Amino acid sequence: MSGPLARLRVLEWCDELGQLAGKLLADMGADVIKVEPPAGSSARAVGPFVKDLPGSNRSLNFWYHNTNKRSVILDIEGNGAEAALFRNLAAHADILLEDRRPGLLAEHGLSYAELCAANPGLIHCAITPFGQDGPWANYASSDLVALALGGPMMMNGYNSEDVPGAPPIRGHGDQGYNTACHYAVQGTLAALLFRDRTGEGQFVDCSMHEALSSTTEVGLPYWFSARKDVIRQTGRHAAATRTDEWLHQTGDDRGIIIYGVGRDNASWKKIKSWLQSEGFGANFDEPRFDDPRARQQARGAPEAAEIMAEMGRFIASQDSETIYRGGQERRQPWGAVRSPEENLADPHWADRGFFVGATGEGLDEPALMPGAPYQFSATPWELRRPAPRLGEHSAEIRQAAADGRWP
Amino acid sequence: MPLPLEGIRICDLTWIIAGPTATRVLADFGAEVIRVEHGQSVDAIRLGRPIVGERTTLNNSGFFNYFNRNKKSMLLNVRHPMGTDLLRRLIAESDVVIENFSSGVMESWGLGYEELRALRPDIIYCAVSGFGHTGRDKAFTTFGPTAQALSGLSLMSGLPGRPPAGWGFSYLDHTAGYYAAIAIMMALHHRNVTGEGQQLDLSQVETGMILAGPAILDSSVNGRSWRREGMPPGNRAWQPAVAPHGAYSCAGEDRWLAIAVMNDAEWEALIRAMDEPQWARDPKFATNADRLANQDELDTRIETWTSEFEDYEAMELLQAAGVRAGVCQKASDRFERDPQFRARGWWTSLPHAELGEAETDGVTPRLSVSPGAPRFASPLLGEHTWEVLREVLGMTDEEIAEQDAAGVLM
Repeated sequence: MSGPLARLRVLEWCDELGQLAGKLLADMGADVIKVEPPAGSSARAVGPFVKDLPGSNRSLNFWYHNTNKRSVILDIEGNGAEAALFRNLAAHADILLEDRRPGLLAEHGLSYAELCAANPGLIHCAITPFGQDGPWANYASSDLVALALGGPMMMNGYNSEDVPGAPPIRGHGDQGYNTACHYAVQGTLAALLFRDRTGEGQFVDCSMHEALSSTTEVGLPYWFSARKDVIRQTGRHAAATRTDEWLHQTGDDRGIIIYGVGRDNASWKKIKSWLQSEGFGANFDEPRFDDPRARQQARGAPEAAEIMAEMGRFIASQDSETIYRGGQERRQPWGAVRSPEENLADPHWADRGFFVGATGEGLDEPALMPGAPYQFSATPWELRRPAPRLGEHSAEIRQAAADGRWP
Repeated sequence: MPLPLEGIRICDLTWIIAGPTATRVLADFGAEVIRVEHGQSVDAIRLGRPIVGERTTLNNSGFFNYFNRNKKSMLLNVRHPMGTDLLRRLIAESDVVIENFSSGVMESWGLGYEELRALRPDIIYCAVSGFGHTGRDKAFTTFGPTAQALSGLSLMSGLPGRPPAGWGFSYLDHTAGYYAAIAIMMALHHRNVTGEGQQLDLSQVETGMILAGPAILDSSVNGRSWRREGMPPGNRAWQPAVAPHGAYSCAGEDRWLAIAVMNDAEWEALIRAMDEPQWARDPKFATNADRLANQDELDTRIETWTSEFEDYEAMELLQAAGVRAGVCQKASDRFERDPQFRARGWWTSLPHAELGEAETDGVTPRLSVSPGAPRFASPLLGEHTWEVLREVLGMTDEEIAEQDAAGVLM
């Protein structure tokens, strides 16, 4: 086994909320055992499914979030004897990752205090919607509810003149769960580095609510320093006051994000000659466009408005990929609004080997999915095995647990 | 209490948000993060609003303060040959070098990975860029919104038939920073075990695609795109497809309550919490499939109910019945009204020379034995130049004064 976490043993009891944390460890070499109830993790019921046929082993969502793990069925909540098997595995684990409600493990004699007595080096990371204590500790949550309470949603939406009455918008992709897992892994690794030095384990209390609240960029600073709430704006950052648009519509009816047009003379020269080569901006050679200050939208100069109006016509005459690449080739950090899967056709990601093959039930040949979030030169990301079928490794793991060893 | 990353020194060459987010995480957990700043090319976030006072001083940005607490700042003229020498000496004393320049900048300074390794054989070198340091488009650059657009996250955020809403902030600056912090800590563990350092190459757009895995698999397996009728579905659920699921208007100006009903039992609980309205018992809302088929009417009905309530009041009522519900909180709500943050002591403040008693948030997750902590506010530009040269590089005051006179420390 390779990877920076090779030889690390991880016991994971997670569903939708915490499963990405286990994947991030497993993909970098940790030996992750996923504990599931007899009916399987609830995440196995989350679509989309292979060819739209639901089934325990056909969830693409589950496949993606459970690469490189092994699966064992333990009926901890249904049968007291099963908790003993869990306890035996935890006694040999370096890390326990779980996303149960606060107190549930303790009800089965699996509290951190009990597990740590047998294994003082254990790092027990509990991922919950609100943390282990506090008045909302037992509130019911979901990805949507978490993004609402944590703050990201209230920064995301539309100008009221663009879409009257539009609600704040939740960005899709279960980003509340993802953000909780990013923090859970950060804390777990910090605890691991502490253990490398001292041999001591600890309890890691990860609150999705706190993780999301810390993922709202300028939102909190504006309150801290100016006592202002930022306002939602279409296709750009929430801000204290209305700002210039970034999102424009291209000729192929797609979106492009552009900013900084005319900001400095060097980039203005490049953009101007690009437009003029396509028959736009004939009057941009007039001296009144030479001063960078006249080209700044925020300053309200008529030249800036003229430039953006002509940019709009230019953009509407081109497709979004042309504007994206043309802008980037002129050192502008612009981006086409792509649908996620449109990246499968971008050869840059193939150059980097970013997409890897997923395999599983009902699939005749591997299908592409995202692979490494980071490239390690010495200990690279690796897909060693696809997500496990429900209970695929039950026999070997249960036997080892009964024998009191790590399988 | 001990800090988990005590004794780890980070040579921090990052700026804007993505890189400083990574080093914020590491600094919160106790790493000694030394921001190397160049006065001729200062971090634009030092000018970022909100600022305290009328005009920028490079030290009065609340935005900068939020992302750069617990860090030190040294001024170094990296375009001066003696400045580059000092940078090399600092790297030799560091465990980690992190930067988020465009691809190729470090090489142009003669500080590519091989050169860094010559200075410090077990160095961990982390590069965060828009497209990574390999591949045909490696010279392309991003801001957060660029990466969000390209990766698909912007398109996945909006109402159907409308342009994308955004994300409303640079979500991928946060996320790229989180992945960089994770990568660095994994590499530190590997170094602890084997003694070996390495190079870490992160692309901000890739971290965005990582967060859209199921959507990409739905295309590569089932041939479906998110660019289709009815998508993105606004606040309605994609997978699992459940209803009701949305943000509903409440009493007052721009007040909203998110409600997610994941199954029939939770629907029953919602009906009880709404005090058994007649309409809710209509067979067209009986099962999840029925509710999905009649979602427009369902959402209107629920919003009629929520609009009678103040948002927190409705949330408490629904939560008491076991319904997943949460107020769409603004920053002011989180800070002033949220009882959970208050009970867990989430807000604190740190003294800062120009910002005064500067408020900040806590460190999550909470480690029971060696928790991270907000320890000191963001550094003034060059606040620790002498301290670092003295304590890390072991220079005498005379030597430092000599460098200063030569224009190296600016």
